[in-house]
Amino acid sequence: MGDRTLWALAAVALLLAGVAWAQGGVSTAVAGLVEGGRLLWLVALQLLLAFLIAGLAQALVDEAAIARWLGRGTGWRGLFLASLGGALVPGGPYVYYPLAASLLASGASVGVLVAFVTAKNLWAFSRLPLEFALLGRELTLIRFVLTLVFPPLLGALAELLFGGLVERIRAEVPQ
Amino acid sequence: MTEANLILGVVAAILLVYAARRGKAGEGVRIGALLLRRTAAVLLVAFAIIGYVNVMETGGLIQRWIGPDSGWSGLLLAALAGMLLPGGPYVVFPLIAALYLGGAGIGPAVVLVTSWAMLALISVAFELPLMGWRFTLIRWGVGLPVPILVGAVAQAVWG
Repeated sequence: MGDRTLWALAAVALLLAGVAWAQGGVSTAVAGLVEGGRLLWLVALQLLLAFLIAGLAQALVDEAAIARWLGRGTGWRGLFLASLGGALVPGGPYVYYPLAASLLASGASVGVLVAFVTAKNLWAFSRLPLEFALLGRELTLIRFVLTLVFPPLLGALAELLFGGLVERIRAEVPQ
Repeated sequence: MTEANLILGVVAAILLVYAARRGKAGEGVRIGALLLRRTAAVLLVAFAIIGYVNVMETGGLIQRWIGPDSGWSGLLLAALAGMLLPGGPYVVFPLIAALYLGGAGIGPAVVLVTSWAMLALISVAFELPLMGWRFTLIRWGVGLPVPILVGAVAQAVWG
């Protein structure tokens, strides 16, 4: 999370404050901040718990162990293992893409890698508590259940259509 | 809200006990606190944005573009917006929550989360140099229809 994100968001907030001021004067500009504070207070405990869960998950997950058993299974079993590994890996793209690249270098298939990345994006166990806290139970559950099948499914599809390209993909990536 | 607290509390407690038995509870709490410290400023600003969206007269703009009756164009717009959303979950989830509270439909809201999670261009920027353009194109391409598909189902079933 860079400083640029913070400044961009701050600019958006300032712009909105300006619009609110134009719409209803100082009272509306202040009311927006009060409303934001009230909503933050409502989810404060959930946020704290979500951060605690994310921290504990990160401490408990052994990335090297995940990388070891990711390559083990073949076929659907391999795709499920890869999905499970992706779901367990904590951290942002600067963590899981280097891991995926090292899996590619050590012989993982296109399907396994697509399943791994897609599960990281859609199952993301350590992100779920935060999603739950900020977006609510209904939206989180619907989103999670509807996307549940896609990590292994897209892995299988990618392997079926493009599995033969794996050597060329591997050759393209700096070892 | 108390039910959500309870569920998260139970999950946290189980993880805490498990971590304690492996001697990793302290490390976990420290990492959690570090994550919170690093994202606290962003969270505060994000909630100011939610507050403004809530009190402002948006003239039904959110509802018209990505409301429950916005149809396929709403889903498509949400998919594009999701790809362009910047930053991690700490930034993106509060913004989507603001749009949802401001009148976005369940379908477009699901599309926003899914599209950001799978197709965000900001993560493609990490993917391209590390995985190459072939893999990036394959993964992004097979995932492309997914957000709109799940959004359409969400809107049809829960809308």
